[in-house]
Amino acid sequence: MITDYIRASLLLDTRFNEADPSNTDTLDVAQVLQKFVTTIGDAQDIHTFDDLYNGLLSGDAIILFDGSTKAKAVSAQGWQNRGVTEPSAESVVRGPREAFTETLRTNTSLIRRKIKDPNLWMETKQIGRVTKTEVAFMYIKGIVNDKVVEEVRERLDRIDIDGILESGYIEEMIQDDVFTPFPTVYNSERPDVIAAELLEGKVAILVDGTPFVLVVPALFVSFLHAAEDYYHRADISSLIRILRYLGIFIALFGPSLYVAITTFHQEMLPTQLLVSLASQREGVPFPAFFEAIMMEVAFEILREAGLRMPRTIGPAVSIVGTLVIGQAAVEAGIISAAMVIVVSTTAISSFVFPSYSLANSIRILRFPFIILADTFGLFGVIVGTIATLLHLCSLRSFGVPYMSPFAPMILPDQKDAILRLPQWAMFSRPRLISQINVTRKQNVPPRKPEPRQ
Amino acid sequence: MIRNAALFFAVLTLLLFATGCWSRRELNDLAIVTGVAIDKIDNKYRVSVQVVDPGEAAGKKGSSGRSPVTLYDASGDTVFEVIRRMTTVTPRKLYFSHLRMFVLSEDLAREGIGKILDFFSRDHELRTDFYIVVSKGRAAKDIISILTPLEKNPSTKMFTSLEVSEKAWAPTVAIQLDELINDIVSEGKEPVLTGILIKGNPAIGKGKGNLETIDTPTNLQYGGIAVFKKDRMIGWLNEEESKGVSNLTNRLDSTVMEVACGNNGKLAVEVIRSNTKVKGKVKDGQPEIKVTIRTEANIGDVECQIDLMKSKTLYDLEIELEQKMKSDAERALSKAKKLKSDIFGFGEAIHRADPNYWQTVKKDWDKHFPSLPVRIKVDFKIRQLGTTGDSFQNKLKE
Repeated sequence: MITDYIRASLLLDTRFNEADPSNTDTLDVAQVLQKFVTTIGDAQDIHTFDDLYNGLLSGDAIILFDGSTKAKAVSAQGWQNRGVTEPSAESVVRGPREAFTETLRTNTSLIRRKIKDPNLWMETKQIGRVTKTEVAFMYIKGIVNDKVVEEVRERLDRIDIDGILESGYIEEMIQDDVFTPFPTVYNSERPDVIAAELLEGKVAILVDGTPFVLVVPALFVSFLHAAEDYYHRADISSLIRILRYLGIFIALFGPSLYVAITTFHQEMLPTQLLVSLASQREGVPFPAFFEAIMMEVAFEILREAGLRMPRTIGPAVSIVGTLVIGQAAVEAGIISAAMVIVVSTTAISSFVFPSYSLANSIRILRFPFIILADTFGLFGVIVGTIATLLHLCSLRSFGVPYMSPFAPMILPDQKDAILRLPQWAMFSRPRLISQINVTRKQNVPPRKPEPRQ
Repeated sequence: MIRNAALFFAVLTLLLFATGCWSRRELNDLAIVTGVAIDKIDNKYRVSVQVVDPGEAAGKKGSSGRSPVTLYDASGDTVFEVIRRMTTVTPRKLYFSHLRMFVLSEDLAREGIGKILDFFSRDHELRTDFYIVVSKGRAAKDIISILTPLEKNPSTKMFTSLEVSEKAWAPTVAIQLDELINDIVSEGKEPVLTGILIKGNPAIGKGKGNLETIDTPTNLQYGGIAVFKKDRMIGWLNEEESKGVSNLTNRLDSTVMEVACGNNGKLAVEVIRSNTKVKGKVKDGQPEIKVTIRTEANIGDVECQIDLMKSKTLYDLEIELEQKMKSDAERALSKAKKLKSDIFGFGEAIHRADPNYWQTVKKDWDKHFPSLPVRIKVDFKIRQLGTTGDSFQNKLKE
């Protein structure tokens, strides 16, 4: 790059162009160079050594002039890029197959490709005293709530940290509530998801060096919405969403309800079921609570092991896991078969969440619920549920109630919460995100032509 | 400040665990009681409980030869005391929530059941959805010591069998605790309970041998309805009379009724729905009951030569069935009148019709009841003929 655009133009082109003093009204070398010689657009004047180092370390070429107090920093970065690949954390059957990469400029261009609107604004900052990481935030002017943008700007400015290596650093520094298991900042590696969020009036925060882009304000429901919900037909999407809500219920309460009912409320079970469960527990030495905790911990260890293992050893972990825990433990009479069923159902249900961060919160909460179930039975589970709901309702993400559109209940926004209405019926943007420009589209249901005479 | 708060919450959290889960019980600490039988022997209650052996009753690894249920019994002066005394023989604490069958011996029933029911209605552990029956002629303990085929748990067998026979056969009544107690305390209605008896040799029925042959030597069978007056049993009704009770108390769901037809053949209809309305009336100080029974039935079985395609035939059949139903009901009524026990709840109907009049007779309703005029009106409709029209027997020209 330097050879092609800077040295070549300096050596070759200067001979033939109009760069002799008669053509210019200034004798400033830097300006002459800028105007007539270099063929690179992104060039900045620098005056201090700080800027010089910064530019040099960011990959700029620095042109120093003999006898001048100014220098030129010419953008000549070149580095190894990972190409745009398929998303690995949020895969879809139908939908775009591209994911963000580690390069900020590539990422912004991926979004720009989706939204070709001059109102898509971007602001860039450098955060990190040592790393000086480029952080950009994007929004659509005219849809976004300006107060939220102002808030994002302020919170980003407040960050004083030596290094930003991933967007998770930013997330933890800007979230509203610190002590909560629930994520109040959304993230995605899919440009289509980010574009959709921008269209809803949210702000996307892109961090150089990571494919995960943050979105604020984040609502609880968006963690349960997958990109694909909008690409399939509305009826099946709604059905799958309901299934997902059922999944969250099982994943959160599965083991705790089992423990509560089998140790406190045996009268709730039908007689046949009770006898069958009791027969499985014959000879099991541990209380149900201990069994549940043991199995849950074993499952979490398996899951973590499978995640960190080199890909070639991964299957070995699952074989050992299923054989040892699934079968041998039951046959040896250490664990009851019903508990294995409960824990594995819970585990499978916890995989239905499109968002990994919410799945993690559910994972954490499962354990206190098991403890509550064991100490107080269903009463404990109910108290825990109420406490969790109260906590959820008290959360806010950049000023927007986390549980909206359920608490506060906003009827127009139910179009895209538990159900997803057809595209032509989703004509307004979420009410609390931004009050301006709420009308999305004005469509009528598609009509078929009259039958021919 | 924050430190204090944190400490406070830490202590609170510790308290949570200090409670020690006092009411928790693991599934394998329970002795699940599915059947209870109470006899009275030498002025003492003998309570027998049927406890499920879960490993045997629901295990999949083939039976190890143990019986799926075990019986424990003990005697004492009060039911509660006996049940607690039983812990000296039972390996675990008895758990009564899943009680299915409650068997009373006939002797005990004749002496009065009020006293023993108190524990079962008071104790928090019991659900009130078990059925209560009276053992006919035998000790109640014998009833729950019979092993049954198909259902490993004899109590479940008794429970489902009673439920099904009440729905599809009618001369049995499935009575649960709350209904029984209501009927006992109610002044215008007396309780009834279904009887249960052992068919075959009880000694064989207690052993595994009972399950090893195709034709089970000993079986449990429901038969007859025990009529009570307050909490004392006073007599039995036979099958026809029992059917009449179902008809008159709106318990009839479905049953089979047969009438003679043609030349010494029979025809059976399946009752598909039936509705009984009891209306009380007091006219000139004279109580009167009007019962309207509306029944619909399908032709179920034709074992005679009859032309079903004529509407006249069906009409005649309907009239005949009406008569039959009416006579069943009247038979039950006259038996009840003879026993002076208002098991149909006619007193309640009079109470609803004329509360003032009721106040004057409720004291000695059992004296008024035998002379109570009851008008029974049956409206019988035959709806469908089944999957064929006329019977093929009509084509068998002899």
